[in-house]
Amino acid sequence: MRKFFPVEELARDSRFNQVTMKDRMADPRSALGKDEPRQKSNRLVPSRPDASAAARGLMHGIFVGEIQALEGAGRTCHDFRTAGDSARRAQDDAHGDDSFVDAVPFALKLDMARQAWDEARHVEISVKLSDWMGGEIGEFAENTVLFQAACSSDPILRLAGVNRALEGLAIDVFTTMKEFGDLAGDPYLEFCEDWMLADEVTHVKMGSDWLRRVTEHDPDRRKQALEFQSVVDKLFSYGGTRSDSQESPIGLARRFRELAGFTADEVEDIAEVSLAALDERKVAVAKMQAAAAGVELLATT
Amino acid sequence: MADPYKPRAPFAPWDRRELPGLFDVEESARRVGNYKWAEMKLFEALGGWVATVPELDVKMRLGTHCYKHAWHSELWHKRLPELREMNPDRLTQPANDAMVRFVEAMTEPEAPEQTIEKLVGVYRVFIPHFIAAYTFHKNNTSQITDAPTIRSLQFILQDEFDDWRDGEMLIQSLIETPDEVDRASAHQARLGKLMLEAGGIAGPGSIGAATPATTAATSGGGS
Repeated sequence: MRKFFPVEELARDSRFNQVTMKDRMADPRSALGKDEPRQKSNRLVPSRPDASAAARGLMHGIFVGEIQALEGAGRTCHDFRTAGDSARRAQDDAHGDDSFVDAVPFALKLDMARQAWDEARHVEISVKLSDWMGGEIGEFAENTVLFQAACSSDPILRLAGVNRALEGLAIDVFTTMKEFGDLAGDPYLEFCEDWMLADEVTHVKMGSDWLRRVTEHDPDRRKQALEFQSVVDKLFSYGGTRSDSQESPIGLARRFRELAGFTADEVEDIAEVSLAALDERKVAVAKMQAAAAGVELLATT
Repeated sequence: MADPYKPRAPFAPWDRRELPGLFDVEESARRVGNYKWAEMKLFEALGGWVATVPELDVKMRLGTHCYKHAWHSELWHKRLPELREMNPDRLTQPANDAMVRFVEAMTEPEAPEQTIEKLVGVYRVFIPHFIAAYTFHKNNTSQITDAPTIRSLQFILQDEFDDWRDGEMLIQSLIETPDEVDRASAHQARLGKLMLEAGGIAGPGSIGAATPATTAATSGGGS
């Protein structure tokens, strides 16, 4: 088995349809992509006219996201040599394999295995919740960008990108879905989201702890990891899907992020990046709408 | 009311545990080091395969089992210093080169069409050999001096049996044609031969030796 697994080869059954981030944002059903007048708030709440479909769509997004998170954690168990594993080192040397930057502590791998189990449970929960909400596997496309963040050849960058940026986003998503369940009078949804939220806080904390421990005497590597996290955070704020603004469907779960080990400054940075992404998206949508209006005008003359 | 000062036997009549065991501290540590290495290889393989299998139910089981074997390796890692091995990495070793070749061959299948091979390697060869080695250890080590190892073995064996059943049922549900029966059997035979060469998870003697063990006390001290 290869050490690093390309995102385009993620194995799926025939129900799944995979798309890129670019494809997803071009989808007219995307957060701010519609050209009809928007309501004041886009936050996912039961009073939204499209709440049912939007919640099913978000749940499907959670489902495929959990699959990729499971795959990412599993790959981190496999791709890197455990510190002290001299037999594996001999194998790597025999194969002339120097594609990894470092061996990782045994305890870090144990945490990744634990995360794999947690993510497997989240897939199970998401499948059952999707069914409960009237959704079907494959009803929406799968954006594979999450797994891409788990493809770095540096394990610490993976932790920064996956555990801190993506699992941080998961905290925001689960908090929004939990609130949605509460407002909609759906205790089943609220109950499950709360359990998943507890796991995600643990995963983010794992990432924060390992980032600090492994880079304790390597400030350059820590800086690089935090920069990578920032890139992933920005990528996942693309389109303004998640921010403090009511225009974003998903809010920023500040309290749970602090519980997970984010400093107040880090939360503020994410809030700023998210708002900037929302503004960028609004400008882009305005341009697309202007262009579309021009085409319409040409067609009628 | 019973007299609390009346002398009682230190071992209750129903407590039939024995002092003698086949393994001294050193031998027990060696085996535990082999177990830890093998469990590590197994959880790494299961984690790596998750992304490669298209079947959703299999994908989820591999993720779950990945953690169980990581936990087993953690139990063994913690046991090593208690067996006077203060540098656990020193004994975290494969039993021999054949065991390394077995793990290499077991982890070879990667293509999405090879789920049967992946599962056969783990659930029809590797895990049955874990169950055998662990059962031998549990039944032959000193029930009193090595009680902490026995306790871990009991927890781990429960997992191994559960996982073996899960895996075997997945294999049976995936095999739909006579050709697939042949594929599974051929792969099992190939890996089984490598495991035979290795002699089991802890090398020759994993489930007892043809020659009598000489490493530890085998008599006296019974209750």
